[in-house]
Amino acid sequence: MSNLDSVPDLTPPNSKPDPEHQTPFSTNEIDEEDDDGDDENDVEDDEEDEDEDENGVSGGPNRPKPHSREARFRSEKLKMDSLLQRMKTGPVSVRIHDVIIKGNTKTKDHIIEAETEVLNNVGSMQELLKASQIVNLRLQALEIFDSVKITLDSGPPELPGTANVIIEVVETTRPLSGQIGAYTKAEARSSTVEGSLKYKNLFGYGDLWDGSLAYGYDHSAELSAGVFLPRFKGLVTPVTARAYLLSQDWLTFSSYKERSMGLSLGLFSNQHHEVTYNLAWRTLTDPSQMSSRSVRRQLGHNLLSSLKYTFKFDRRNSSMRPTRGYAFVSSTQLGGLVPDSRSLRFLRQEFDLRYAVPLGFYHAALNFGVSGGVVFPWGNGFSSKPSSLPERFFLGGNISPVCALGGPTTLWGFKTRGFGPTEPKRRVNNENANPSGVDFLGGDLAVTALADLSFDLPFRWFREKGIHAHVFACAGNVTKLTEFEYRNFSVQKLVESLRSSVGVGLVVPTSLFRMEINYCYILKKFNHDRAKTGAWLTFSSAT
Amino acid sequence: MEQVGERESEEFTLVARKPYFDLPTACPVCLPLFIYLKLAHFPFRLSFNSIFPDSDQIPYVESGTYVAYNNENGGVIERLKQDGIVDLDSEFHSVPDWVTMKAMISSWLADAMMYELWVGSDGKSAYKIYYSDLSWPIGKVLFLKQSYSVKQRLGITKDNAEPREHEIYKRAKIAYGALSTRLGDQNFLFDDRPSSLDATFLGHVLVILHALPETSVLRSKLLEHNNIVRYADKLKMELIESSSSSSGPQIHSVPSSSTPKRGPSNGSSKPKSKPKREKTEEEKKFKRRAKYFLAAQLLAVLLFLSVMGGSDADDMELDDEDEGIVYG
Repeated sequence: MSNLDSVPDLTPPNSKPDPEHQTPFSTNEIDEEDDDGDDENDVEDDEEDEDEDENGVSGGPNRPKPHSREARFRSEKLKMDSLLQRMKTGPVSVRIHDVIIKGNTKTKDHIIEAETEVLNNVGSMQELLKASQIVNLRLQALEIFDSVKITLDSGPPELPGTANVIIEVVETTRPLSGQIGAYTKAEARSSTVEGSLKYKNLFGYGDLWDGSLAYGYDHSAELSAGVFLPRFKGLVTPVTARAYLLSQDWLTFSSYKERSMGLSLGLFSNQHHEVTYNLAWRTLTDPSQMSSRSVRRQLGHNLLSSLKYTFKFDRRNSSMRPTRGYAFVSSTQLGGLVPDSRSLRFLRQEFDLRYAVPLGFYHAALNFGVSGGVVFPWGNGFSSKPSSLPERFFLGGNISPVCALGGPTTLWGFKTRGFGPTEPKRRVNNENANPSGVDFLGGDLAVTALADLSFDLPFRWFREKGIHAHVFACAGNVTKLTEFEYRNFSVQKLVESLRSSVGVGLVVPTSLFRMEINYCYILKKFNHDRAKTGAWLTFSSAT
Repeated sequence: MEQVGERESEEFTLVARKPYFDLPTACPVCLPLFIYLKLAHFPFRLSFNSIFPDSDQIPYVESGTYVAYNNENGGVIERLKQDGIVDLDSEFHSVPDWVTMKAMISSWLADAMMYELWVGSDGKSAYKIYYSDLSWPIGKVLFLKQSYSVKQRLGITKDNAEPREHEIYKRAKIAYGALSTRLGDQNFLFDDRPSSLDATFLGHVLVILHALPETSVLRSKLLEHNNIVRYADKLKMELIESSSSSSGPQIHSVPSSSTPKRGPSNGSSKPKSKPKREKTEEEKKFKRRAKYFLAAQLLAVLLFLSVMGGSDADDMELDDEDEGIVYG
């Protein structure tokens, strides 16, 4: 128990609790809520109450106490000062004797203990403080506690040079929370609005359950439920599982509707690596009965069983407005992991490389990016088989290429699924000479490149809000490789048919999303490309 | 790459379900169409789609950007007749017998076929025809769904299963009897000339004879009529086996005379749908504009809240960072 006499973290109640003095020994995480403030105040109040009790009565048997208390606190303060002095000069060796966890009624002990493993290896006071901070942040990251307070206590008197770590957690009193947000889903290539309900710590394993409903700008709807387990049977990284029902409507672009029902498992995830497994039943239908031949051939049911590995290395200073640093993302997806040859077999690889150079004046920065991707089926007769339609690359959309990190996604000025290989749709009226339109089929190989110069505007109001301007240029292409088309492929042809655009615009970053108001000028496009020179609005959110 | 359709504008392709049981396509809906085109000596390629068993668009005939789906205009055969591509029934429409036989085949025999495939033989044959190219979990679920739906359609419940079965078989027996009488010793059902009726009936018979197990009740009822079995075997040999042996994967060059036949319009369906389409397009445009207006308003409000009100949130976050760990 925290004994007032021997605990070194006590500040003299006379002095206002000075964070500078208090925090070295009591790492209080300050959250948006006022809980910690209340904790602090509670402690203070207790001390002040005691103090008042003692100071309130003047004279009598109570008089000697204030003196001894003051003397005691002065000696403690001296001890602390000397400790700090020793710490400044060199490592002060200390061992952890015991880690005491308090306040968890529902949460299992081993969940909290798993986050405190880093404390076992500390050898000095400095390391101990650092480790305590890490443990505090980790416990906060579990999202199941309203507050976390770590107190360092001296160990049992018979073991000098040891310390006890006392972790007091306050479990969340409101396990159910809801939120609505706007996101950019990389697969959907568009902004989505998502409403979700989260239930924290249902079984005490730090499990976070959530159900969400998302609606996308491109007529996609997704209903999903998932669970996040920070510690599953001794696995090092948290495990997530998500069951989803997804429906996407591509009728106007490619004459098909996609409906998917599946399970997605996040197997391994840390700062740089991520491995997920996806098992889904996907159905492509064409209720409009207007699709082109290639799309007709792909309508039907498919079993998708794929493993995706993503490597991410992001050293930029910001993902919304990168002004310095570089980033590299590579993701590999292998489909057809069941021994059943009838499941969808493909290999999809995409990469994205970004580099931001600060220019010094007006907070300006030059952003370069190049990205590419390729998808190919595998298995018997793979060179003559077409790639699966939803797995292909479709470029175009209303998100900003600067923010969309992960692979080739879009070019400024081109609409959703706006360019690439096309095929005429079904002809309905024989008399009508006008074709009824084309289907965008996407491609097996996609490349994009972008250059973006962003700078602050010379008005203070804009600068304060973070609103800045940018000038950009981009180019990209999408082409087909499967069904023996790779024989006709040449880099020269790819470069000759590159689409490109330039433009200038205003970037408005808000807490929900980053909005760009651009004027795009299309330098090069081909027939059937859905692109226009003019004003464009894009929305992106943090990936 | 850009205009894929042009290359194949002359060739017709029939997309049907997969071949099985020694039949070019084992699905009882697709086989009549195959036979019809063969009877008409109409050149076409055969292509398969085995991942969409629950689609009513299959079988379909396509050529370039022209497609005739099964679920439109009364079927592919009707559509091909209307478009003047191939028509075997030009003289039979007025023959009352022909019309009643057609009605009988497309109701009683079709029901009997559906019952026998999905319920009578425990669905084993149906599973092989429709779901053998799908991954197991998907195939199984779709099969169960379809079995249930067939029972709904035929009005079969636990209570009336037996009497209903009895009724279906009885009707099939009557139909077989009538058709056998109609056929006699001829080569075809009517006027010794092939018609779409022959195609439909032959398709039915071949699936019963080859796809159903020997224990099938319907099959045994059919086998009672020797002339039907003879008729089926003879035509099968002529149309299916001889053509497959002679010209490999059924790729024929199409004579150019077939193309002008596509001139006439699609018939009565067009004028009706045109004014309706225009109206809905206007409505769509209006709705789209209204949506954009609402979205713009919402966006303006959001922007105002986040840009103006957002600065407070930013300040608060900065303070929190300051209150973090500070080493004395």
